[in-house]
Amino acid sequence: MSTLSEPSTELILAAVREAVVTVVPEVAPELVAPGRTLTELGCNSIDRAEIVTIAMERLRITVPIGDFAEVGDIASLVDVLHRHHP
Amino acid sequence: MCSIAADPDEFATALRVGHSGIGDRAGYHGQTSRAAADLTDFDFGTALADLSPPPDLHRAAVRLVGRAPLSLRASTVVALQAWRSAGLWEEPVVGERVGVIVAGHNLTAAHTDAVRPRYLDNPRYLPATYARHGLDTDHIGTISQLLGIHGEGFTVGAASASGNLALINGIRLIGLGVVDVCLVIGALTDLSDLERQGYYNLGAMAEQSGIGPFDTARAGFVPGQGAACLVLESTASAKRRGRAASARLIGYGTRLDGNAATDPDVTGEAAVMASALLDAGITADRIGYVNAHGTGSDLGDRTELAALERVWTGHSGRPLLNSTKGLTGHCLCAAGVVEAVAVIVQLRDGFAHGNAGLRTPMATGFRLPTTATMMDVEYALSNGFGFGGFNTSLVFHRTNG
Repeated sequence: MSTLSEPSTELILAAVREAVVTVVPEVAPELVAPGRTLTELGCNSIDRAEIVTIAMERLRITVPIGDFAEVGDIASLVDVLHRHHP
Repeated sequence: MCSIAADPDEFATALRVGHSGIGDRAGYHGQTSRAAADLTDFDFGTALADLSPPPDLHRAAVRLVGRAPLSLRASTVVALQAWRSAGLWEEPVVGERVGVIVAGHNLTAAHTDAVRPRYLDNPRYLPATYARHGLDTDHIGTISQLLGIHGEGFTVGAASASGNLALINGIRLIGLGVVDVCLVIGALTDLSDLERQGYYNLGAMAEQSGIGPFDTARAGFVPGQGAACLVLESTASAKRRGRAASARLIGYGTRLDGNAATDPDVTGEAAVMASALLDAGITADRIGYVNAHGTGSDLGDRTELAALERVWTGHSGRPLLNSTKGLTGHCLCAAGVVEAVAVIVQLRDGFAHGNAGLRTPMATGFRLPTTATMMDVEYALSNGFGFGGFNTSLVFHRTNG
């Protein structure tokens, strides 16, 4: 695994932010930060699943659905995405 | 809303002047026929803003529907138009006494085609919303959430007769006392490429625009994009709310031919019109205007004219007859509701719109105007027939409200 091909956490957070803003347009982008949860930003279960799908697509990675079971906040979401890339 | 109007007032004007939304559209790649009456310049955000909904509802609608498939966006706009026009924000009815019925099925095929490339790229990239937007019932879930509807709701499937059959089911729910108010939405049928081509390969769809229903040279239907909503209400509920009806639905007939093929049946069509009249308690001579199913199908138009003749046998005089599909195209699942709106505005405004694209009319005793004709009519009939042997007919009574 070369560090050159490994997406940085900033890049992943940016992809998540883009996904959140697409699904929940009224959320201010700066609120998509590690300390917050998607739920507090107004997301229901379909929204959260859609955000994950859009972020994976942007990052060109695939993560099995089960890996998101432990995710509680945006920081852990970024972490799970960071751990999986082709 | 449809190819010729964004709301009922525009629709009444468009019908009167004979403005047709049918054209040969670019962009149907690989398709044999490009004739269509598509929506032009529809923007959900603008249409929503034009309705000036309460702020909470406005926000909720943008959130729930802003990125939804076209059909759901259209259903939402017409549902809000109707809700506002029925004064349900000012004089509400408790949610448990309100129902919503959506006329339509196979509404999601175009959406499926739109998301398929993402799925093929990687199955995990299929949007999670497919579980919601991939179902016709998304219309029921969404509209009921936006408008706080807690009575009964369901979709009605009857192919091109879905609109009328949905209205019939709304009448039944109210008649049974299950609800006092029922929204009936004709859902915009956004055809996928396969569906469009399928109709063409069957010989049902016109190759080009220009020839209208009931013309001797007719060669099939032109698909139209349209959605409409009627608020049905019991007399007692409307009286409590101090609201006048734009028309009354006083009778209906519905019947199956017992036929899986796509051909119509003159006996079934005549029988269902006769049942509707019987149900309404009037004889054929009281009907001054008929809104035909009139798709422009060779066999379909011929069968309907023959059935109409059977129903009017023994009566002197024949009512005015037109097909709204000549102007709006065939709105498929939504047709019956779009055409119900057409009947209501024509009864109210005292005119029968012209039959568009009619150069050489088929021989019939019924009066087929080519331009808008004044009429002072109390009772009208509206037909809807569908593949799978569906026959439906509704009787409307003009009110002076």
